[in-house]
Amino acid sequence: MEPIISVKSLTKNYRLGKVDVPALRGVDLVVQEGEFVAVVGPSGCGKSTLLHILGGLTGPSDGQVCIDGNDFRLMTDADRTRFRRHKIGFVFQRFNLLPTLSARDNIAIAQHIQGNGFNPHRFEAITRMLGIEKKLHHRPFALSGGEQQRVAIARAVICEPKILLADEPTGNLDTENSQVVLDMLRELNRTFRQTVLMITHNPEAAGIANRVIHMRDGRIISD
Amino acid sequence: MVNKLILSNVLHRPIRTAVSVLAVAIEVAMVILVVGLCHGLVSDSARRVEGVGADILVRPPGASFMLGLGEAPMPVAIGQRLAELPRVLAVAPAIIHVNSQESLDLIYGIDLPSFNAVSGGFVYHAGGPFQEPYDMLVDDIYANGHRVKVGTTINVLNHDFRVCGIVEHGKGARRFIQLATLQDLTGSHDKATTFFVKCTDPAYTDEVANKIKAWLEGYNILPIKEYMSLMTSNNIPGLNYFITVMIALAVGIGFLVIFLSMYTTITERTREIGILKSLGASKTYIISVILREATFLTAIGVIAGFMGAVILRKVMGGIFPTLPVEMTWDWRLYAACLALMGSILGSFYPALRAAQLDPVDALAYE
Repeated sequence: MEPIISVKSLTKNYRLGKVDVPALRGVDLVVQEGEFVAVVGPSGCGKSTLLHILGGLTGPSDGQVCIDGNDFRLMTDADRTRFRRHKIGFVFQRFNLLPTLSARDNIAIAQHIQGNGFNPHRFEAITRMLGIEKKLHHRPFALSGGEQQRVAIARAVICEPKILLADEPTGNLDTENSQVVLDMLRELNRTFRQTVLMITHNPEAAGIANRVIHMRDGRIISD
Repeated sequence: MVNKLILSNVLHRPIRTAVSVLAVAIEVAMVILVVGLCHGLVSDSARRVEGVGADILVRPPGASFMLGLGEAPMPVAIGQRLAELPRVLAVAPAIIHVNSQESLDLIYGIDLPSFNAVSGGFVYHAGGPFQEPYDMLVDDIYANGHRVKVGTTINVLNHDFRVCGIVEHGKGARRFIQLATLQDLTGSHDKATTFFVKCTDPAYTDEVANKIKAWLEGYNILPIKEYMSLMTSNNIPGLNYFITVMIALAVGIGFLVIFLSMYTTITERTREIGILKSLGASKTYIISVILREATFLTAIGVIAGFMGAVILRKVMGGIFPTLPVEMTWDWRLYAACLALMGSILGSFYPALRAAQLDPVDALAYE
Protein backbone atom coordinates (compact mmCIF):
# COMPACT_ATOMS: atom_id res chain seq x y z
CA MET A 1 0.00 0.00 0.00
CA GLU A 2 1.29 3.48 -0.87
CA PRO A 3 2.26 5.43 2.27
CA ILE A 4 0.25 8.54 3.07
CA ILE A 5 3.42 10.47 3.92
CA SER A 6 6.63 9.87 2.03
CA VAL A 7 9.60 12.17 2.64
CA LYS A 8 13.06 11.68 1.12
CA SER A 9 16.21 13.73 1.76
CA LEU A 10 14.14 16.70 2.95
CA THR A 11 16.10 19.85 3.73
CA LYS A 12 14.92 23.26 4.80
CA ASN A 13 17.09 26.33 5.22
CA TYR A 14 15.97 29.62 6.69
CA ARG A 15 17.76 32.77 5.74
CA LEU A 16 18.70 35.04 8.64
CA GLY A 17 20.30 38.16 7.20
CA LYS A 18 23.03 36.83 4.92
CA VAL A 19 23.34 33.49 6.67
CA ASP A 20 21.51 30.27 5.75
CA VAL A 21 20.38 28.41 8.86
CA PRO A 22 19.58 24.76 8.26
CA ALA A 23 16.42 23.57 10.05
CA LEU A 24 16.15 20.17 8.38
CA ARG A 25 19.25 18.37 7.09
CA GLY A 26 18.02 15.41 5.10
CA VAL A 27 14.95 13.84 6.66
CA ASP A 28 13.56 10.52 5.41
CA LEU A 29 10.16 9.48 6.70
CA VAL A 30 7.37 7.15 5.68
CA VAL A 31 4.00 7.07 7.44
CA GLN A 32 1.19 4.67 6.59
CA GLU A 33 -2.47 5.64 6.67
CA GLY A 34 -4.03 5.21 10.13
CA GLU A 35 -0.74 5.50 12.04
CA PHE A 36 -0.38 7.62 15.18
CA VAL A 37 3.15 9.02 15.08
CA ALA A 38 4.77 11.15 17.75
CA VAL A 39 7.81 13.26 16.89
CA VAL A 40 9.93 14.18 19.88
CA GLY A 41 13.11 16.14 20.27
CA PRO A 42 14.61 19.22 21.88
CA SER A 43 13.67 22.76 20.92
CA GLY A 44 15.16 23.83 17.58
CA CYS A 45 15.60 20.28 16.31
CA GLY A 46 13.30 20.94 13.33
CA LYS A 47 10.08 19.25 14.53
CA SER A 48 7.85 22.26 13.85
CA THR A 49 9.52 22.93 10.50
CA LEU A 50 8.84 19.33 9.49
CA LEU A 51 5.21 19.71 10.54
CA HIS A 52 4.82 23.00 8.63
CA ILE A 53 6.26 21.44 5.48
CA LEU A 54 4.06 18.36 5.74
CA GLY A 55 1.04 20.66 6.19
CA GLY A 56 1.97 22.73 3.15
CA LEU A 57 2.39 25.93 5.19
CA THR A 58 5.88 26.36 3.83
CA GLY A 59 7.85 24.74 1.04
CA PRO A 60 10.97 22.57 1.34
CA SER A 61 14.38 23.82 0.22
CA ASP A 62 15.21 20.46 -1.29
CA GLY A 63 14.15 16.84 -1.22
CA GLN A 64 10.95 15.03 -2.00
CA VAL A 65 7.68 15.34 -0.07
CA CYS A 66 4.77 13.29 -1.23
CA ILE A 67 1.50 13.38 0.73
CA ASP A 68 -1.40 11.18 -0.32
CA GLY A 69 0.05 11.03 -3.82
CA ASN A 70 0.69 14.80 -4.08
CA ASP A 71 4.28 15.65 -4.90
CA PHE A 72 5.08 19.04 -3.36
CA ARG A 73 7.83 19.69 -5.92
CA LEU A 74 5.16 20.00 -8.59
CA MET A 75 2.81 22.18 -6.55
CA THR A 76 2.50 25.95 -6.48
CA ASP A 77 1.66 27.92 -3.35
CA ALA A 78 -2.01 28.01 -4.41
CA ASP A 79 -1.95 24.23 -5.00
CA ARG A 80 -0.56 23.67 -1.51
CA THR A 81 -3.30 25.91 -0.06
CA ARG A 82 -5.95 23.84 -1.87
CA PHE A 83 -4.25 20.64 -0.70
CA ARG A 84 -4.19 21.87 2.90
CA ARG A 85 -7.88 22.77 2.71
CA HIS A 86 -8.89 19.23 1.78
CA LYS A 87 -6.25 16.95 3.25
CA ILE A 88 -4.77 18.49 6.39
CA GLY A 89 -6.09 19.35 9.83
CA PHE A 90 -3.95 21.37 12.24
CA VAL A 91 -4.00 21.44 16.05
CA PHE A 92 -1.70 24.04 17.61
CA GLN A 93 -0.21 24.45 21.05
CA ARG A 94 -1.91 27.84 21.47
CA PHE A 95 -5.27 26.53 20.17
CA ASN A 96 -5.44 29.30 17.53
CA LEU A 97 -9.19 29.77 17.61
CA LEU A 98 -10.67 32.88 16.05
CA PRO A 99 -11.43 35.00 19.13
CA THR A 100 -14.46 36.79 17.72
CA LEU A 101 -16.35 33.63 16.71
CA SER A 102 -18.24 31.16 18.88
CA ALA A 103 -16.98 27.58 19.24
CA ARG A 104 -19.63 26.44 16.74
CA ASP A 105 -18.54 29.02 14.16
CA ASN A 106 -14.86 28.25 14.75
CA ILE A 107 -15.60 24.67 13.74
CA ALA A 108 -18.04 25.56 10.95
CA ILE A 109 -15.65 28.01 9.28
CA ALA A 110 -13.35 25.13 8.38
CA GLN A 111 -16.23 23.51 6.47
CA HIS A 112 -17.04 26.85 4.86
CA ILE A 113 -13.46 27.33 3.68
CA GLN A 114 -13.39 23.78 2.37
CA GLY A 115 -16.49 24.66 0.36
CA ASN A 116 -18.46 21.46 0.86
CA GLY A 117 -21.08 23.12 3.04
CA PHE A 118 -22.13 22.41 6.59
CA ASN A 119 -22.49 18.72 7.41
CA PRO A 120 -24.70 18.53 10.53
CA HIS A 121 -24.23 14.77 11.06
CA ARG A 122 -20.45 14.97 11.01
CA PHE A 123 -20.60 18.10 13.17
CA GLU A 124 -22.80 16.43 15.77
CA ALA A 125 -20.74 13.23 15.84
CA ILE A 126 -17.46 15.10 16.32
CA THR A 127 -18.71 17.56 18.92
CA ARG A 128 -20.39 14.76 20.91
CA MET A 129 -17.25 12.63 20.81
CA LEU A 130 -15.15 15.58 22.01
CA GLY A 131 -17.71 16.46 24.70
CA ILE A 132 -18.14 20.09 23.65
CA GLU A 133 -21.77 20.03 22.48
CA LYS A 134 -22.83 22.21 25.43
CA LYS A 135 -20.08 24.76 24.86
CA LEU A 136 -20.75 25.54 21.23
CA HIS A 137 -22.23 28.98 21.83
CA HIS A 138 -19.30 30.14 23.93
CA ARG A 139 -16.54 32.25 22.51
CA PRO A 140 -12.93 31.11 23.13
CA PHE A 141 -12.33 33.49 26.05
CA ALA A 142 -15.21 31.81 27.90
CA LEU A 143 -13.72 28.32 27.51
CA SER A 144 -11.02 26.60 29.55
CA GLY A 145 -7.75 25.65 27.85
CA GLY A 146 -8.86 22.03 27.55
CA GLU A 147 -12.18 23.03 26.04
CA GLN A 148 -10.47 25.36 23.59
CA GLN A 149 -8.15 22.59 22.49
CA ARG A 150 -11.08 20.24 22.01
CA VAL A 151 -12.79 22.86 19.83
CA ALA A 152 -9.54 23.17 17.88
CA ILE A 153 -9.43 19.39 17.41
CA ALA A 154 -13.05 19.42 16.25
CA ARG A 155 -12.20 22.15 13.74
CA ALA A 156 -9.20 20.19 12.54
CA VAL A 157 -11.09 16.96 11.89
CA ILE A 158 -14.51 18.27 10.83
CA CYS A 159 -13.57 18.16 7.15
CA GLU A 160 -12.28 14.58 7.42
CA PRO A 161 -8.65 15.40 6.63
CA LYS A 162 -6.30 12.64 5.56
CA ILE A 163 -3.74 13.73 8.15
CA LEU A 164 -4.07 15.45 11.50
CA LEU A 165 -0.95 17.43 12.37
CA ALA A 166 -0.73 18.35 16.05
CA ASP A 167 1.96 20.80 17.20
CA GLU A 168 2.48 20.38 20.96
CA PRO A 169 -1.28 19.97 21.54
CA THR A 170 -0.81 19.60 25.30
CA GLY A 171 1.86 22.27 25.68
CA ASN A 172 -0.51 24.80 27.20
CA LEU A 173 -2.62 22.42 29.27
CA ASP A 174 -2.50 21.04 32.79
CA THR A 175 -2.09 17.33 33.37
CA GLU A 176 -5.79 16.54 33.55
CA ASN A 177 -6.68 18.44 30.39
CA SER A 178 -3.59 17.09 28.63
CA GLN A 179 -4.80 13.55 29.29
CA VAL A 180 -8.28 14.39 27.99
CA VAL A 181 -6.85 15.85 24.76
CA LEU A 182 -4.49 12.93 24.25
CA ASP A 183 -7.36 10.51 24.82
CA MET A 184 -9.37 12.39 22.17
CA LEU A 185 -6.56 12.12 19.66
CA ARG A 186 -6.19 8.45 20.42
CA GLU A 187 -9.93 7.97 20.09
CA LEU A 188 -9.98 9.73 16.71
CA ASN A 189 -7.13 7.54 15.53
CA ARG A 190 -8.91 4.38 16.65
CA THR A 191 -12.48 5.24 15.67
CA PHE A 192 -11.90 6.94 12.32
CA ARG A 193 -8.45 5.50 11.47
CA GLN A 194 -7.30 9.08 11.48
CA THR A 195 -3.63 9.44 10.64
CA VAL A 196 -2.07 11.60 13.36
CA LEU A 197 1.39 13.12 13.45
CA MET A 198 2.02 14.78 16.79
CA ILE A 199 4.96 16.88 17.90
CA THR A 200 5.66 16.91 21.60
CA HIS A 201 8.27 17.49 24.26
CA ASN A 202 6.36 15.37 26.67
CA PRO A 203 7.46 11.70 26.82
CA GLU A 204 4.14 10.72 28.42
CA ALA A 205 2.25 12.30 25.56
CA ALA A 206 4.49 10.54 23.06
CA GLY A 207 3.73 7.30 24.87
CA ILE A 208 0.18 7.12 23.54
CA ALA A 209 1.40 7.05 19.93
CA ASN A 210 2.05 3.70 18.28
CA ARG A 211 5.27 5.01 16.78
CA VAL A 212 7.77 7.51 18.23
CA ILE A 213 10.35 9.33 16.10
CA HIS A 214 13.25 11.19 17.72
CA MET A 215 14.82 14.19 16.05
CA ARG A 216 17.95 16.15 16.75
CA ASP A 217 19.74 18.87 14.81
CA GLY A 218 17.40 18.62 11.84
CA ARG A 219 17.69 14.87 11.45
CA ILE A 220 15.73 11.81 12.55
CA ILE A 221 17.97 9.92 14.94
CA SER A 222 15.67 7.06 15.85
CA ASP A 223 12.37 5.66 14.62
CA MET B 1 -20.12 32.41 7.50
CA VAL B 2 -17.93 35.21 6.11
CA ASN B 3 -20.69 37.64 7.03
CA LYS B 4 -20.63 36.32 10.60
CA LEU B 5 -16.86 36.67 10.70
CA ILE B 6 -17.07 40.25 9.42
CA LEU B 7 -19.89 41.21 11.78
CA SER B 8 -18.09 39.72 14.77
CA ASN B 9 -14.86 41.54 13.82
CA VAL B 10 -16.71 44.82 13.47
CA LEU B 11 -18.42 44.40 16.84
CA HIS B 12 -15.24 43.17 18.51
CA ARG B 13 -13.42 46.46 17.77
CA PRO B 14 -16.02 49.14 18.47
CA ILE B 15 -13.64 52.13 18.53
CA ARG B 16 -12.05 51.21 15.22
CA THR B 17 -15.51 50.62 13.76
CA ALA B 18 -16.83 53.94 15.10
CA VAL B 19 -13.86 55.93 13.74
CA SER B 20 -14.11 54.31 10.31
CA VAL B 21 -17.86 54.84 10.12
CA LEU B 22 -17.48 58.44 11.29
CA ALA B 23 -14.84 59.18 8.65
CA VAL B 24 -17.00 57.80 5.86
CA ALA B 25 -20.03 59.65 7.27
CA ILE B 26 -18.07 62.93 7.29
CA GLU B 27 -16.92 62.26 3.73
CA VAL B 28 -20.46 61.57 2.50
CA ALA B 29 -22.06 64.45 4.43
CA MET B 30 -19.34 66.83 3.25
CA VAL B 31 -19.88 65.93 -0.41
CA ILE B 32 -23.67 66.19 -0.11
CA LEU B 33 -23.57 69.48 1.81
CA VAL B 34 -20.86 71.25 -0.21
CA VAL B 35 -22.44 70.30 -3.53
CA GLY B 36 -25.92 70.95 -2.13
CA LEU B 37 -24.93 74.38 -0.86
CA CYS B 38 -23.29 75.40 -4.16
CA HIS B 39 -26.20 74.14 -6.24
CA GLY B 40 -28.70 75.51 -3.74
CA LEU B 41 -27.24 79.01 -3.84
CA VAL B 42 -27.12 79.07 -7.63
CA SER B 43 -30.59 77.66 -8.20
CA ASP B 44 -32.12 79.72 -5.38
CA SER B 45 -30.67 82.86 -6.93
CA ALA B 46 -31.98 81.83 -10.37
CA ARG B 47 -35.43 80.98 -9.00
CA ARG B 48 -35.68 84.36 -7.29
CA VAL B 49 -34.81 86.18 -10.54
CA GLU B 50 -37.43 84.08 -12.30
CA GLY B 51 -39.80 84.99 -9.46
CA VAL B 52 -39.63 88.68 -10.48
CA GLY B 53 -42.01 87.68 -13.25
CA ALA B 54 -40.14 89.23 -16.19
CA ASP B 55 -39.85 87.41 -19.51
CA ILE B 56 -36.68 89.15 -20.68
CA LEU B 57 -33.63 90.65 -18.98
CA VAL B 58 -31.99 93.58 -20.75
CA ARG B 59 -28.47 94.41 -19.66
CA PRO B 60 -25.51 96.39 -20.95
CA PRO B 61 -23.03 95.08 -23.55
CA GLY B 62 -20.51 92.63 -22.16
CA ALA B 63 -22.53 91.95 -19.00
CA SER B 64 -22.09 88.60 -17.33
CA PHE B 65 -25.19 86.41 -17.16
CA MET B 66 -24.69 86.62 -13.39
CA LEU B 67 -26.60 89.62 -12.15
CA GLY B 68 -24.66 92.32 -10.36
CA LEU B 69 -21.27 91.42 -11.81
CA GLY B 70 -19.47 94.34 -13.34
CA GLU B 71 -21.88 95.74 -15.87
CA ALA B 72 -21.80 99.45 -16.79
CA PRO B 73 -25.09 101.24 -16.13
CA MET B 74 -27.55 102.02 -18.92
CA PRO B 75 -29.70 105.19 -19.19
CA VAL B 76 -33.10 104.74 -17.58
CA ALA B 77 -34.56 106.33 -20.71
CA ILE B 78 -33.98 103.05 -22.53
CA GLY B 79 -36.68 101.58 -20.31
CA GLN B 80 -39.22 104.08 -21.54
CA ARG B 81 -38.41 103.11 -25.17
CA LEU B 82 -38.62 99.41 -24.27
CA ALA B 83 -42.06 99.94 -22.77
CA GLU B 84 -43.26 101.41 -26.06
CA LEU B 85 -42.37 98.27 -28.05
CA PRO B 86 -45.33 96.19 -29.22
CA ARG B 87 -46.30 93.22 -27.01
CA VAL B 88 -44.45 94.67 -24.02
CA LEU B 89 -46.65 94.93 -20.96
CA ALA B 90 -44.27 96.50 -18.45
CA VAL B 91 -40.61 97.38 -17.93
CA ALA B 92 -38.91 97.74 -14.55
CA PRO B 93 -35.47 99.38 -14.32
CA ALA B 94 -33.23 98.21 -11.48
CA ILE B 95 -29.75 98.66 -10.12
CA ILE B 96 -28.42 95.40 -8.76
CA HIS B 97 -25.84 96.17 -6.13
CA VAL B 98 -23.45 93.60 -4.70
CA ASN B 99 -23.32 94.21 -0.99
CA SER B 100 -20.33 92.91 0.90
CA GLN B 101 -21.10 94.57 4.21
CA GLU B 102 -21.59 91.86 6.89
CA SER B 103 -22.53 89.31 4.23
CA LEU B 104 -22.34 88.92 0.47
CA ASP B 105 -25.74 89.47 -1.13
CA LEU B 106 -27.53 91.41 -3.83
CA ILE B 107 -29.60 94.50 -3.06
CA TYR B 108 -32.07 95.59 -5.70
CA GLY B 109 -32.66 99.28 -6.24
CA ILE B 110 -36.17 99.33 -7.70
CA ASP B 111 -38.81 101.71 -8.89
CA LEU B 112 -41.68 100.22 -6.90
CA PRO B 113 -44.62 100.99 -9.27
CA SER B 114 -42.87 99.57 -12.37
CA PHE B 115 -41.43 96.63 -10.38
CA ASN B 116 -44.95 95.85 -9.13
CA ALA B 117 -46.24 96.05 -12.71
CA VAL B 118 -43.73 93.39 -13.80
CA SER B 119 -43.87 91.19 -10.71
CA GLY B 120 -47.54 91.52 -9.78
CA GLY B 121 -46.64 93.29 -6.56
CA PHE B 122 -45.18 92.21 -3.23
CA VAL B 123 -47.13 90.28 -0.62
CA TYR B 124 -46.52 92.08 2.67
CA HIS B 125 -46.06 90.02 5.85
CA ALA B 126 -45.66 93.23 7.84
CA GLY B 127 -45.40 96.95 7.18
CA GLY B 128 -45.89 98.37 3.71
CA PRO B 129 -44.25 100.04 0.68
CA PHE B 130 -41.45 102.63 0.74
CA GLN B 131 -42.44 105.90 2.45
CA GLU B 132 -39.08 107.65 2.70
CA PRO B 133 -35.94 107.61 0.48
CA TYR B 134 -34.03 105.58 3.07
CA ASP B 135 -36.68 102.89 3.53
CA MET B 136 -35.92 99.26 2.86
CA LEU B 137 -38.00 96.18 2.10
CA VAL B 138 -36.67 92.81 3.24
CA ASP B 139 -38.06 89.38 2.51
CA ASP B 140 -39.36 87.08 5.25
CA ILE B 141 -36.34 84.71 5.12
CA TYR B 142 -33.91 87.60 5.63
CA ALA B 143 -36.13 89.01 8.38
CA ASN B 144 -36.25 85.67 10.23
CA GLY B 145 -32.56 84.99 9.75
CA HIS B 146 -31.45 88.42 10.94
CA ARG B 147 -34.26 89.00 13.47
CA VAL B 148 -35.38 92.07 11.61
CA LYS B 149 -38.74 93.76 12.24
CA VAL B 150 -40.47 96.73 10.72
CA GLY B 151 -38.66 99.79 12.07
CA THR B 152 -35.29 98.06 12.44
CA THR B 153 -32.35 100.07 11.13
CA ILE B 154 -29.92 98.43 8.71
CA ASN B 155 -26.73 100.06 7.50
CA VAL B 156 -26.03 99.76 3.77
CA LEU B 157 -23.43 101.81 1.86
CA ASN B 158 -22.68 103.65 5.11
CA HIS B 159 -26.27 104.86 5.37
CA ASP B 160 -28.94 103.78 7.80
CA PHE B 161 -32.06 102.37 6.23
CA ARG B 162 -35.32 101.79 8.08
CA VAL B 163 -37.11 98.53 7.36
CA CYS B 164 -40.55 99.65 6.22
CA GLY B 165 -41.95 96.30 5.14
CA ILE B 166 -41.38 92.55 5.24
CA VAL B 167 -42.40 90.84 2.01
CA GLU B 168 -42.89 87.29 0.81
CA HIS B 169 -39.56 85.88 -0.50
CA GLY B 170 -38.94 84.88 -4.09
CA LYS B 171 -38.88 88.14 -6.08
CA GLY B 172 -35.27 88.84 -6.99
CA ALA B 173 -33.26 89.97 -4.01
CA ARG B 174 -33.78 89.58 -0.29
CA ARG B 175 -33.45 93.35 0.23
CA PHE B 176 -34.86 96.24 -1.82
CA ILE B 177 -34.33 99.97 -1.65
CA GLN B 178 -35.60 102.73 -3.88
CA LEU B 179 -33.92 103.04 -7.29
CA ALA B 180 -33.39 106.79 -6.89
CA THR B 181 -31.68 106.33 -3.54
CA LEU B 182 -29.32 103.65 -4.87
CA GLN B 183 -28.60 105.82 -7.93
CA ASP B 184 -27.60 108.66 -5.56
CA LEU B 185 -25.46 106.42 -3.37
CA THR B 186 -23.60 104.80 -6.29
CA GLY B 187 -23.33 107.95 -8.41
CA SER B 188 -25.46 106.48 -11.17
CA HIS B 189 -28.07 109.19 -11.70
CA ASP B 190 -30.75 108.18 -14.21
CA LYS B 191 -29.00 104.89 -14.78
CA ALA B 192 -30.00 101.24 -14.36
CA THR B 193 -28.03 98.00 -14.59
CA THR B 194 -30.93 95.77 -15.59
CA PHE B 195 -34.33 96.13 -17.17
CA PHE B 196 -36.94 93.51 -16.36
CA VAL B 197 -39.24 93.30 -19.37
CA LYS B 198 -42.64 91.63 -19.16
CA CYS B 199 -44.48 90.71 -22.36
CA THR B 200 -48.24 90.79 -22.81
CA ASP B 201 -47.96 87.01 -23.22
CA PRO B 202 -44.88 84.81 -22.54
CA ALA B 203 -45.40 83.35 -26.04
CA TYR B 204 -44.14 86.65 -27.46
CA THR B 205 -40.84 86.48 -25.58
CA ASP B 206 -38.69 85.49 -28.54
CA GLU B 207 -40.35 88.00 -30.86
CA VAL B 208 -39.85 90.84 -28.39
CA ALA B 209 -36.32 89.73 -27.56
CA ASN B 210 -35.41 89.74 -31.26
CA LYS B 211 -36.79 93.23 -31.65
CA ILE B 212 -34.77 94.49 -28.68
CA LYS B 213 -31.64 92.78 -30.02
CA ALA B 214 -32.13 94.49 -33.37
CA TRP B 215 -32.56 97.86 -31.69
CA LEU B 216 -29.95 97.54 -28.91
CA GLU B 217 -27.19 95.85 -30.85
CA GLY B 218 -24.48 94.35 -28.63
CA TYR B 219 -26.62 94.55 -25.50
CA ASN B 220 -27.16 91.47 -23.40
CA ILE B 221 -30.74 90.40 -24.09
CA LEU B 222 -31.63 87.23 -22.21
CA PRO B 223 -35.02 85.54 -22.26
CA ILE B 224 -35.63 84.33 -18.72
CA LYS B 225 -35.67 80.65 -19.81
CA GLU B 226 -32.21 81.07 -21.30
CA TYR B 227 -31.05 82.81 -18.13
CA MET B 228 -32.35 79.89 -16.04
CA SER B 229 -30.53 77.39 -18.23
CA LEU B 230 -27.29 79.37 -17.77
CA MET B 231 -27.60 79.50 -14.00
CA THR B 232 -26.03 76.16 -13.21
CA SER B 233 -22.83 75.43 -11.31
CA ASN B 234 -21.20 74.40 -14.60
CA ASN B 235 -21.47 77.98 -15.84
CA ILE B 236 -20.37 79.75 -12.68
CA PRO B 237 -16.66 80.50 -13.07
CA GLY B 238 -14.55 78.43 -10.68
CA LEU B 239 -17.48 76.82 -8.89
CA ASN B 240 -16.95 73.41 -10.43
CA TYR B 241 -13.25 73.56 -9.52
CA PHE B 242 -14.22 74.40 -5.97
CA ILE B 243 -16.70 71.51 -5.85
CA THR B 244 -14.13 69.14 -7.36
CA VAL B 245 -11.47 70.15 -4.84
CA MET B 246 -13.89 69.73 -1.92
CA ILE B 247 -15.00 66.32 -3.19
CA ALA B 248 -11.38 65.26 -3.66
CA LEU B 249 -10.62 66.34 -0.08
CA ALA B 250 -13.61 64.43 1.27
CA VAL B 251 -12.78 61.29 -0.70
CA GLY B 252 -9.14 61.64 0.39
CA ILE B 253 -10.16 61.72 4.05
CA GLY B 254 -12.35 58.63 3.60
CA PHE B 255 -9.65 56.81 1.65
CA LEU B 256 -6.93 57.53 4.21
CA VAL B 257 -9.03 56.59 7.24
CA ILE B 258 -10.23 53.32 5.69
CA PHE B 259 -6.67 52.59 4.56
CA LEU B 260 -5.28 53.19 8.05
CA SER B 261 -8.14 51.35 9.71
CA MET B 262 -7.79 48.26 7.52
CA TYR B 263 -3.99 48.42 7.66
CA THR B 264 -3.97 48.41 11.47
CA THR B 265 -6.65 45.73 11.41
CA ILE B 266 -4.41 43.52 9.33
CA THR B 267 -1.56 44.04 11.76
CA GLU B 268 -3.81 43.34 14.74
CA ARG B 269 -5.26 40.27 13.08
CA THR B 270 -2.10 38.81 11.62
CA ARG B 271 -2.50 35.69 13.71
CA GLU B 272 -6.15 35.29 12.71
CA ILE B 273 -5.16 35.54 9.06
CA GLY B 274 -2.56 32.85 9.74
CA ILE B 275 -5.30 30.67 11.24
CA LEU B 276 -7.49 31.12 8.16
CA LYS B 277 -4.53 30.23 5.97
CA SER B 278 -3.80 27.12 8.01
CA LEU B 279 -7.39 26.08 7.37
CA GLY B 280 -6.74 26.41 3.64
CA ALA B 281 -8.21 29.86 2.97
CA SER B 282 -7.02 31.08 -0.42
CA LYS B 283 -5.66 34.55 -1.17
CA THR B 284 -8.96 35.41 -2.84
CA TYR B 285 -10.83 34.36 0.30
CA ILE B 286 -8.66 36.59 2.53
CA ILE B 287 -8.94 39.55 0.14
CA SER B 288 -12.69 39.04 -0.05
CA VAL B 289 -13.04 39.07 3.77
CA ILE B 290 -11.08 42.34 4.08
CA LEU B 291 -12.83 44.08 1.17
CA ARG B 292 -16.25 42.98 2.37
CA GLU B 293 -15.51 44.27 5.85
CA ALA B 294 -14.43 47.65 4.41
CA THR B 295 -17.56 47.71 2.24
CA PHE B 296 -19.74 46.92 5.25
CA LEU B 297 -18.15 49.75 7.28
CA THR B 298 -18.58 52.08 4.31
CA ALA B 299 -22.25 51.14 3.92
CA ILE B 300 -22.92 52.02 7.57
CA GLY B 301 -20.89 55.22 7.09
CA VAL B 302 -22.91 56.15 4.00
CA ILE B 303 -26.19 55.74 5.90
CA ALA B 304 -24.78 57.74 8.82
CA GLY B 305 -23.55 60.37 6.33
CA PHE B 306 -27.01 60.67 4.76
CA MET B 307 -28.57 61.12 8.19
CA GLY B 308 -25.83 63.55 9.24
CA ALA B 309 -26.34 65.63 6.08
CA VAL B 310 -30.09 65.86 6.73
CA ILE B 311 -29.51 66.91 10.35
CA LEU B 312 -26.80 69.43 9.42
CA ARG B 313 -29.00 70.86 6.69
CA LYS B 314 -31.73 71.47 9.27
CA VAL B 315 -29.24 73.01 11.69
CA MET B 316 -27.79 75.22 8.95
CA GLY B 317 -31.29 76.21 7.86
CA GLY B 318 -31.97 77.34 11.42
CA ILE B 319 -28.76 79.32 11.82
CA PHE B 320 -28.34 80.60 8.23
CA PRO B 321 -31.79 80.64 6.64
CA THR B 322 -30.51 82.45 3.56
CA LEU B 323 -28.16 79.57 2.70
CA PRO B 324 -30.24 76.97 0.90
CA VAL B 325 -28.85 73.42 0.64
CA GLU B 326 -30.21 71.48 -2.31
CA MET B 327 -29.97 67.75 -1.62
CA THR B 328 -30.63 65.61 -4.66
CA TRP B 329 -30.76 61.81 -4.93
CA ASP B 330 -28.25 62.03 -7.79
CA TRP B 331 -25.62 63.53 -5.54
CA ARG B 332 -26.46 61.19 -2.67
CA LEU B 333 -25.79 58.34 -5.07
CA TYR B 334 -22.54 59.96 -6.28
CA ALA B 335 -21.43 60.53 -2.68
CA ALA B 336 -22.17 56.88 -1.80
CA CYS B 337 -20.32 55.64 -4.90
CA LEU B 338 -17.34 57.90 -4.18
CA ALA B 339 -17.18 56.68 -0.58
CA LEU B 340 -17.41 53.07 -1.72
CA MET B 341 -14.75 53.58 -4.37
CA GLY B 342 -12.46 55.32 -1.86
CA SER B 343 -12.84 52.60 0.72
CA ILE B 344 -12.32 49.76 -1.76
CA LEU B 345 -9.15 51.47 -2.98
CA GLY B 346 -8.13 52.20 0.62
CA SER B 347 -8.60 48.62 1.73
CA PHE B 348 -7.17 46.94 -1.35
CA TYR B 349 -3.51 47.25 -0.40
CA PRO B 350 -4.07 46.03 3.19
CA ALA B 351 -6.13 43.15 1.78
CA LEU B 352 -3.39 42.26 -0.66
CA ARG B 353 -0.82 42.44 2.11
CA ALA B 354 -2.93 40.15 4.29
CA ALA B 355 -3.30 37.65 1.46
CA GLN B 356 0.46 37.57 0.96
CA LEU B 357 1.34 36.98 4.61
CA ASP B 358 3.45 33.92 5.20
CA PRO B 359 1.22 31.53 7.19
CA VAL B 360 4.06 30.32 9.43
CA ASP B 361 5.08 33.87 10.33
CA ALA B 362 1.45 34.89 10.76
CA LEU B 363 0.76 32.00 13.16
CA ALA B 364 3.85 32.89 15.19
CA TYR B 365 2.80 36.58 15.40
CA GLU B 366 2.41 37.85 18.97
